[in-house]
Amino acid sequence: MKKRLQSKKRRTVPVPIASMGDIAFLLIIFFMVCSEVAKDKNMDVELPVSDYVKKIQVTVVARVAVDENGEIYFDGTRVDNAKDVEWGVRALLTNTISDDQRHVQFKCDRALPKETFEPVIKAIASAGGIIEAVGEKQQ
Amino acid sequence: MRKRYSKEKKHRSGEIPTGSFSDIAFLLIIYFLVATTLVKVKTIAADLPSGEKASQTQSDKTPIVNLRGTEIFFNDKKVSVDLLNERLQALKLGENEPAKRVIMLESTRGTPYENYFQVLAAISAHQGVVAIVEDDK
Repeated sequence: MKKRLQSKKRRTVPVPIASMGDIAFLLIIFFMVCSEVAKDKNMDVELPVSDYVKKIQVTVVARVAVDENGEIYFDGTRVDNAKDVEWGVRALLTNTISDDQRHVQFKCDRALPKETFEPVIKAIASAGGIIEAVGEKQQ
Repeated sequence: MRKRYSKEKKHRSGEIPTGSFSDIAFLLIIYFLVATTLVKVKTIAADLPSGEKASQTQSDKTPIVNLRGTEIFFNDKKVSVDLLNERLQALKLGENEPAKRVIMLESTRGTPYENYFQVLAAISAHQGVVAIVEDDK
């Protein structure tokens, strides 16, 4: 029995690697299509703190930010005033069906006074957006 | 001279080496995976009603939060953020129908966003619906 096992020939199984390049390039294309470039990453915004913030679970339709100088950004592009934000959000929400598609991310510097940020909040609300106000967890 | 030169020139077939394509591709994937940061920001959700302006408040019983600079007032009584949370918890807003979950939010000029955010977060955490009170012009 032992002898017979020893006499068994070893067969080398070649791994097919011809399509590896295609698979790899398909993966690259997938990543490039699915990834999103963070446009407002380098913005000068010091976030407010709260115990109630939690990791965002929904997909946002737009990103609105107000930096420390009071400049308003809509999806990473600087806009003149809150009215532009309202029209922008309104345009994005025209074909929405469910509430899940109404979330708008709002990032604002913690030190800004009411006169600067409230018109933007009101603009998002009047356009029909649900505000997802960005903050940091209290340590 | 020209004729001889063109006739003598050998036709060489140039092949592009494709053997290392998969290596290049996988290196690119690794680069994307390392360089990509998955950002998941922390937020509070606030669904502000976008209805028509009302000339007067709906009811005298509607709770109101006033922000006067850095001070917080709940139904005209000065409170801290923790005390505000307790008061909102006592209201048990989650058990009410949406129309009865309204909390009015009024703020004076110069109120910093930090305070506004904390109040907004507290109201949202207790399932309240924020109605912003506008100044009379």
